[in-house]
Amino acid sequence: MIRKFLIALLIIPLLAACGPARTSTPATPSITMTDDLGRTVTLAGPAQRVVSLAPSNTEILFAIGAGAQVVGRDETSDYPAEALSLPTVGGWSGFSSESIVALHPDLVLAQGGGLNSPELVASLERLGLTVYVLPNPPTIEAMYTNLETAGVLTGHGTDATTLVDSLKRRVAAVDQKIMPLSYAPTVYYELDATEPTKPYTAGPGSFVDLLITRAGGINIGAELQGQWAQISLEQLLVANPAIIILGDAAYGETPAKVAQRPGWGTLAAIQTDQVFPFDDNLVSRPGPRLVDGLEALAKLLHPGVFK
Amino acid sequence: MKIRAYLYSLLFLVLAVVLSIAIGSVFIPPADLGRILIGWLYRATFSEPLKTFAFILTDIRLPRTALVLLTGAALGGSGAAYQGLFRNPLADPYLIGVASGAGLGAVLTMSIKWPYSFWGLMAVPAAAFIGALLTVFLVYALARVGKTVPTTNLILAGVAFGSFATALTTYLMLRSTGELHRAIAWLNGGSSQAGWVPVLTVLPYLAIGLGILVLSGHALNLLQFGDDQAQQLGLPVTRARTLILLAASLATAAAVSFSGIIGFIGLIVPHVIRLWFGADYRRLLPLSLIGGAGALLLADVIARAVMAPQELPVGIVTALVGVPFFLWVLRRAKNQGYW
Repeated sequence: MIRKFLIALLIIPLLAACGPARTSTPATPSITMTDDLGRTVTLAGPAQRVVSLAPSNTEILFAIGAGAQVVGRDETSDYPAEALSLPTVGGWSGFSSESIVALHPDLVLAQGGGLNSPELVASLERLGLTVYVLPNPPTIEAMYTNLETAGVLTGHGTDATTLVDSLKRRVAAVDQKIMPLSYAPTVYYELDATEPTKPYTAGPGSFVDLLITRAGGINIGAELQGQWAQISLEQLLVANPAIIILGDAAYGETPAKVAQRPGWGTLAAIQTDQVFPFDDNLVSRPGPRLVDGLEALAKLLHPGVFK
Repeated sequence: MKIRAYLYSLLFLVLAVVLSIAIGSVFIPPADLGRILIGWLYRATFSEPLKTFAFILTDIRLPRTALVLLTGAALGGSGAAYQGLFRNPLADPYLIGVASGAGLGAVLTMSIKWPYSFWGLMAVPAAAFIGALLTVFLVYALARVGKTVPTTNLILAGVAFGSFATALTTYLMLRSTGELHRAIAWLNGGSSQAGWVPVLTVLPYLAIGLGILVLSGHALNLLQFGDDQAQQLGLPVTRARTLILLAASLATAAAVSFSGIIGFIGLIVPHVIRLWFGADYRRLLPLSLIGGAGALLLADVIARAVMAPQELPVGIVTALVGVPFFLWVLRRAKNQGYW
């Protein structure tokens, strides 16, 4: 008896809940694109009031010249400086849909890959907002595509193409200088060393890993598992990286502090003063500044070639 | 006394509902609030900025208030029922693993990329719900000895399986790359799908679960004398206990499926009601429903307001604000040996 009752319980609300109605509004000069969630997003024309839900999106919008069309941002969007004067609509712990609605955006630019959840997208969509989810790009080339997409959505298609061309030239310049080099230093990129005996480093598949390789280095974290990988002090001592880059410099880590960590003093990088603080935002946000990050890394790894 | 208890708690609930509708990250002047509410009665159409305010009220705040109210009621009511059922002041709705089962289901589902569709969005709440109920059945089966289900066995099996599921959840979270943030938010009651769909989906479960609980006051009163006594007084002890356990677990599972794990409401609210209005379960159950709804609404207002426009997971607020409040009530209580 109880079993039947329970099965019935499971079924009732499934019947009660009905699927949301999809409405399509075909306008004449409209823009239609498919986003990261596979949704077909249609805009009546280039978006004039954009709310950005990710720092990378804000950086992209400003970089392609759509900064004046941005009316809201998430809490962590702190670049470029102009963005700081925009109202915020939430951030790392949650977004306020009513703050977003109150800004009357004609486009909400979200980011996929775990940053903005599909639940958030659905909630905003149900409120009648147009949401486009940019994919979290796995490569620099995929990041270019995001720039071009944002360009089309905001009516800055040509600006985006120009920007992409210049970024491509800068990357090619780095590639050209790195290619003939036969020496590739081993690099340890630190993400978090709250526990100095097992700090976090950038694992395979992360942008840091990709950029270190492209900048002519060998990421010792590439052997580990996961994009955020924990490395033991033992593994670190064995790998004995030639260069240590402190992506956690913003949290107060300095080369002097690293040298004082118990057991770290014997590392080659510390004895040869090859420990450098680094702006992690350059390599953790999948926007145009990745190229700045690549250049900065290349300079650190091969100071002789880049002057 | 009896009427006054209901009066006070209903007043508290109404106040909490009003605050929950009036306060948000967008400031709506009280005068406009009044105008919008009156305008509704006449089905008036508004012009800006009232139009936006009205939309925020009807489409964002009202459904959220409704979902939070239902969730709080479920947690408060189930908490009271669990405490009575186990005759244990430490019992809360998560005692036998509902939270850890739901968490495991939710986090497991989050690691899969579902298609963006109605059912894809239902995957996480559905998995949480099923995970919670499966855990309860498993624990119940494990705790069973012949035809009886001793409460000590239930607690032990529940706590043990809960630890197991939590460990598995933590492992999954550490291994995941992109979903960690979402998982942590969910596990602290920070999941929010807006709109009426979640409200309508949980409503039938809550109606059944809480309906049974409200009618179980007398049975719970009898159970306080111990199983043998209750049996002699004519209560079919095993059947009553199973029914109450299922009803409370069903309500809790439905509540957490959309709202995530919200702690302390189910533990604290029944105790406060007991300290203030006595331990008669016929009164304690409905009052815990009302009190739980009001308390969670207030916590949700704080979660939305304290760092606006950021929103804190409400489970953090219920612990940070609820626990000191409860300790204060506990210290002031005149009937110290109330349990």
